[in-house]
Amino acid sequence: MMSGREFFISRYQELGWKYEDVELKQAIRINSMNAEKASLLKRLESRGIKLEKIPFLEDGYWVCKSEFSVGATSEYLLGLYSIQEAAAQIPATLFTGLKDKTVLDACAAPGGKTVQLADLMKNTGAIIALDIEKRRLTALSNQLERCRVENTITYNLDARQVSRLDIKFDRILLDVPCSGNFATDKDWFKRRTITDVGRNAKLQREILTRATRVLKDDGEIVYSTCSLEPEENEFNIDWAVKNLNVQVEEVRCHGEKAPTSIFGKHLKGSIKNCRRIWPGRTQGFFVCKLKKVCA
Amino acid sequence: MKPITDFARQLDSNISLDEDLTVRKKNRYFLLNENLKRLASKDFFHAGICLGKEIDGVFFPSFNLLAMIADKRANKVIVDEKTEWLFICGRDVFKRGIIRVIGSMKKGSYTLILNSYSECLGFGQALSDLHEAKEGAVVNNILDIGDFLRREKSSVKTRS
Repeated sequence: MMSGREFFISRYQELGWKYEDVELKQAIRINSMNAEKASLLKRLESRGIKLEKIPFLEDGYWVCKSEFSVGATSEYLLGLYSIQEAAAQIPATLFTGLKDKTVLDACAAPGGKTVQLADLMKNTGAIIALDIEKRRLTALSNQLERCRVENTITYNLDARQVSRLDIKFDRILLDVPCSGNFATDKDWFKRRTITDVGRNAKLQREILTRATRVLKDDGEIVYSTCSLEPEENEFNIDWAVKNLNVQVEEVRCHGEKAPTSIFGKHLKGSIKNCRRIWPGRTQGFFVCKLKKVCA
Repeated sequence: MKPITDFARQLDSNISLDEDLTVRKKNRYFLLNENLKRLASKDFFHAGICLGKEIDGVFFPSFNLLAMIADKRANKVIVDEKTEWLFICGRDVFKRGIIRVIGSMKKGSYTLILNSYSECLGFGQALSDLHEAKEGAVVNNILDIGDFLRREKSSVKTRS
């Protein structure tokens, strides 16, 4: 049967990773637009919150100890920091020169990465943030209000229909809907089958296709998932490189170089520029940067 | 946009917004910049800075609007750390928790509530003359930033 714990674990083993149970640490990201880092750290320390700097992130900290929820402090409610898993903080940092750019966040809700983009852009330029579910856009609006984001327009729109907006983008974040991973969902192995993975991979290719059509020449796409399945990651990017006039750029970030030979399939050599993050100190994650090749 | 300027006036403040860049979308008001205005199409859900919403003719400010007003001359009450916490839990402000009062504080007047870092926590209405009151609750909590948590809870309730 193409599902179940043993099935998926054996796939990970084939990819070179030995399964281990993980316990994720909560992480926060300082909104540098709203807070001066040293003074915020002092304020949180005075509340008895112990933080540890995440070595591979500029503004990220793990929460080591807190007597109460870090989502209920006045500093959080004032938008001085956000709660954002460590690996999830990586994608937005991979873009170059975000200031004054027109950026698409194609699958934006609940908005953690949208807020991070706005922070990196210092509220300049424009972010167009889409989500297919209206209910999730309300959560996104709340995040934007809490974090004092001023440069974002949100739409209740399927990412595959982005061309309706008639905008060409400099940068596109595709944090696409995916199958997730066992580190953040204790029932993951029970709930997921390879059919789900295939269905998500298909949707992700459709989103990639539509996104490249609205990307300017030389524009950048950062593609990420929190799935560990190659169909949603390396295979999709290999397909994109072969079909969508994009190339995989080298990135410097946490994670292993992605494999180029998977389950007997040989992928483009540039796929090694993608980063695969196995669960451990972070959740499982995959991220890469694509650049549109000039026509 | 009259509801917004009227609201600011209640706080003894004055806010001037570029009418061309202030957009009403259903019952909500947004402040855009030139770039966003150029890019936004009619069917947006949220754009730029949300200023607040109107329900049954009553204007409810956003925290962004309150922060904008807090940067200007307005009625302000600065509170200590304990009162800050109680206020964001929805409680009224007691006289003993007040560090400083700025502006007119007659009974019935509206005032912003700020913490010791001058960050705006919300707003309320004076229950008595703040300069004369000796003890007890002196500012009625109308809106505080704990509302973000209440919104999350209510959205979870709606879903379940």
